[in-house]
Amino acid sequence: MKKNIYFIIAFLLISTGLFAQIDRSHPPKPGPSPKISLDNPKEFKLSNGLEVLVVENHKLPKVTYSLRLDRVPVTEGKKAGVSGLLGSLLGNGTTSIPKDKFNEEVDFLGAYIGFSDNGAIASSLTQYSDKILELMADATMHPLFSEEEFNKDKEKMIQGLKSSEKNVNTIASRVGRALVFGVHHPFGEFITEESLNNITFDDVKALYKSNFHPAKAYLVVVGDVEFNKVKKSVEKYFKNWKKGDLKNVKVPEALPNVAKTEIDFVDVPNAVQSNISLTNKIVLHKKDPDYYAALMANEILGGGFNGYLNMNLREKHGYTYGSYSYINDSRYVARFRTTAKVRNAVTDSAVVETIKEIKRIRTEPVDADLLKNTKAKYTGNFVLALENPQTIAEFAMDIKTLNLPADYYTNYLKNINAVSVSDVKRAANKFFLVDHARIIVAGKGSEVLKNLEKTGLPIKYYDKYANPVKKPDYNSAVPAGITGKTVIQNYLKAIGGIENINKMKSIFVKAEATIQGMQLTMIIKKMNGNKFLQEMSAMGNVMNKTVVNGNSGYVEAQGRKKEFSADELKKFEDNLALIPELSLLKKDLKVEGIEDVDGEKAYKLKLSDERSSYYSVKTGLKLKDVQVNKNGAVESFYKDYKEVKGVKFPFILSQSMGPQKFDFIVKEIKVNEGVTDADFK
Amino acid sequence: MKKHLLLMTFLVLTASVVFAQKVKFEEYNLPNGLHVILHQDKTVPVAVTSVMYHVGSKDENPNRTGFAHFFEHLLFEGTKNIKRGEWFNIVSSNGGKNNANTTDDRTYYFEVFPSNNVELGLWMESERMMHPVINQIGVDTQNEVVKEEKRMRVDNQPYGRFLEYVKKNVFKKHPYKGTVIGKMEDLDAATLDEFIAFNKKFYIPNNAVLVVAGDIDIPKVKKMIKDYFGPIPRGKDIVRKKIVEEPIKETIYAEAYDSNIQIPAIMASYRTPSFKERDAYVLDMISTYLSNGKSSRLYKRLVDEKKMCLQVGAINRALEDYGLYIIFGMPLGNTDLDAILKEIDDEIVKLQNNLISERDYKKLQNKFENGFVNANSSVAGIANSLARYYLLYGDTNLINDEIKIYRSITREEIQKVARKYLNPNQRLVLKYLPKKDKK
Repeated sequence: MKKNIYFIIAFLLISTGLFAQIDRSHPPKPGPSPKISLDNPKEFKLSNGLEVLVVENHKLPKVTYSLRLDRVPVTEGKKAGVSGLLGSLLGNGTTSIPKDKFNEEVDFLGAYIGFSDNGAIASSLTQYSDKILELMADATMHPLFSEEEFNKDKEKMIQGLKSSEKNVNTIASRVGRALVFGVHHPFGEFITEESLNNITFDDVKALYKSNFHPAKAYLVVVGDVEFNKVKKSVEKYFKNWKKGDLKNVKVPEALPNVAKTEIDFVDVPNAVQSNISLTNKIVLHKKDPDYYAALMANEILGGGFNGYLNMNLREKHGYTYGSYSYINDSRYVARFRTTAKVRNAVTDSAVVETIKEIKRIRTEPVDADLLKNTKAKYTGNFVLALENPQTIAEFAMDIKTLNLPADYYTNYLKNINAVSVSDVKRAANKFFLVDHARIIVAGKGSEVLKNLEKTGLPIKYYDKYANPVKKPDYNSAVPAGITGKTVIQNYLKAIGGIENINKMKSIFVKAEATIQGMQLTMIIKKMNGNKFLQEMSAMGNVMNKTVVNGNSGYVEAQGRKKEFSADELKKFEDNLALIPELSLLKKDLKVEGIEDVDGEKAYKLKLSDERSSYYSVKTGLKLKDVQVNKNGAVESFYKDYKEVKGVKFPFILSQSMGPQKFDFIVKEIKVNEGVTDADFK
Repeated sequence: MKKHLLLMTFLVLTASVVFAQKVKFEEYNLPNGLHVILHQDKTVPVAVTSVMYHVGSKDENPNRTGFAHFFEHLLFEGTKNIKRGEWFNIVSSNGGKNNANTTDDRTYYFEVFPSNNVELGLWMESERMMHPVINQIGVDTQNEVVKEEKRMRVDNQPYGRFLEYVKKNVFKKHPYKGTVIGKMEDLDAATLDEFIAFNKKFYIPNNAVLVVAGDIDIPKVKKMIKDYFGPIPRGKDIVRKKIVEEPIKETIYAEAYDSNIQIPAIMASYRTPSFKERDAYVLDMISTYLSNGKSSRLYKRLVDEKKMCLQVGAINRALEDYGLYIIFGMPLGNTDLDAILKEIDDEIVKLQNNLISERDYKKLQNKFENGFVNANSSVAGIANSLARYYLLYGDTNLINDEIKIYRSITREEIQKVARKYLNPNQRLVLKYLPKKDKK
């Protein structure tokens, strides 16, 4: 009823007013940049030193607690990785609640708890917020550490390292950090299998002890809480947290930037793409007057699709799927860096173009409209991020720990919008040190170095762990008399000889792989007359199927079928024969050199611009195929050769695509049985 | 009245755990009938401007299907003051995002801008309502786009047409029997005049709700709304005819074929009441209990334990006049489709004969509380909910109160509603099968 009266009044008011004359013909001008009305957190401090920031926000019946331990970064040295292990061990039960029960309780509440080596996050609905705080506090103060979990997690981390051992991008990032900051610096050091093996169960417990105490500790509470109530709860659950001592540590000085820009090259013989990153050390604090200009300069240079770098390297030249740049800020020291992954052949050009774009933003004033749109886009992104309550917690913490003015984030967008064209140029010159930068290139030296030398930049050489090495020698020349033909002949001899091969009419292969807990089965059938079938199935269901029968063929996946065009079939052609090498005998193939395949020397045979095969110098057997495509390369490895009816077949087939690697273990190979014409329909 | 009593009893009982979620808003009508809802949330400098029109595929002339969805495209073509092709440029160069979507019941257009561009959003939406340009170029262009969309989303999509078959069989008279995207031959046959007439009939202030939500200055925004939307003339009142379906009393059996699939599926589809009815809320809980997530009854039984299904799940299509509850199963290996149906039925019979456990009930409540909270975690989500609750449910305040309905549902009620709606003779059993060898 009350509502209705209100309606009538509103109605009368509106209907008596005349419509103001507004100009509809143009978009209205935006108002002044919005101020962010962030509530100032309310604060209190426990007698043990824990500082609590409470941001009351009753919009949603949801509470997020984040515990931050403000610890000075420490170089872990010989025991690098101990902090990671501590993070993974925490949050798995408490001394009074076993692991399974702890996790089940959190699930049932629909809540979340997670830990790192210097903090924790918990969130839940308001109604369970007290319970979840209690669980979080218990897990913070009385964690359940078990040696069994410690060993399991350590093993997992070692496995993780191994799986990325040859990953060009992991290598490039590790070497980049190590060279810019130095391995003596916490931001420059890295974890190795050796350092993980040095870590004992006691080391983790000791780190827990030195990190987890209430000195310089902050608990940020965001959400639907009442200050007085949450104060009581925090006091109740954290009051017995014992005081600890802050170690008096100083962050070591990072290395100075180089006097003259150089290329730091890491040879990764298996690389089919080069990872290129131009990088230099910067000192950039959020309070820095050039901070906002630095953000805009970076956004314009490489913040997104329309950045200078991407427009040049991707859109104009097609060198890469994407090229971007990053800067970060820190109380200590930080980095500026660009990224691009490019195919081997254009590595040097990509370096040249990257330098060109950085020089451009350092010398040419940016277009005023571009700057305006960049601000608008940046504002939009910034504003959207604010909807996540975690962002708000982040702000409160920044203000506290970085000694920022209380209205820092309220004025943030105003400051972004104040950045001028000349500010951008100044910041670019201050932070993007194109004349004092390291250009980290991780790639295949035998294919890219010659051209990199032509850039005229000095080149230094490093191994995968940032140790200086001598320039690699690629002149391990192919011995006289070795030709494509002899390599193929040796291979055919090694697998059983042409006579035995010619006795084969069909081959049946069944292999299995386990990927993320799911079993995949692969069936390959081949028959004379270019008949080929490959079927991949998971849990008894066919996922995809490729069939070629002479001059036609198709691929079928998830219920969709696509016939191959003549062009597509041509690409397969070489692979269809029972032993494809038989047909290679007639071709004049080039031996491109001797390369290392998993520690074994192999002749590299170039089959086409996209494809090459590697045959062992010692045994003659084929070790690897590489197929390059737009998105990178697919490598197939062949291992564990065994004889079936006089011919040797590999019983382990591994395939790698980017960071993923699948091992197919052959369960069965049949020759001249189990395959009929009907299979290829 | 009875409902209120029940709510009150419940509130008293659970006073200790009840918490407040309060989305504050105010609402009023312009003289031209446009309903306005304002929600201020100054925590984030975002402003959402959105308009929901009470027109969906169920409002179309049966010989001119697909119109509402077609307008979702057409109304981005331009207006008297926004040149063709300019719409998206204006939005992105001002740091914003925008989109639109259509259902059987309504069409929704929205922009999200940093809050200093709220006037821009209002200008754009008022332009769209006041004088959109509807001409042959736009119609021809969007006709092609919509056809591509249908090819991509429906025709080429494995299982893309199941809803079409379910609706066709479950509804005999009601326009829900058709699809939102409509028939392409209808769109091809439509004349420019027909499009203009459809626009004049439905895209009018008295058939729409405008929501402005976020970091807004309410008096200023009210004035802007008056300035931009006030001059738009009121349209003719829309008369809606209620079309009533006869209850399903005998199982409907049907088969459908899809050339995009290899693995068949079986679907048991029940016609459920309007989402405004209390029973619909209960069915929502039943659906969650049976088939939402990996700990749900059907998933555990058919996928985990018996390994009969590759996948099992449910789609709860809640609509204004009726709803659809579709349970589907995809067999693993050679499992018979009827065997899957039998397992599903066993689980439903259990639900009809026994109360669910206290722990399952509590877990359900926790899930709904979570879902409810997450639905309101962004200003854009709140704006959408406000528009929907006003326009389709007739009660804007449901944004705060809907959860109370879920909370008030008892285990006994779950059993009762399962008995009332989920019987084998009240449904469609659809076998969705691979189509072989058809070019």
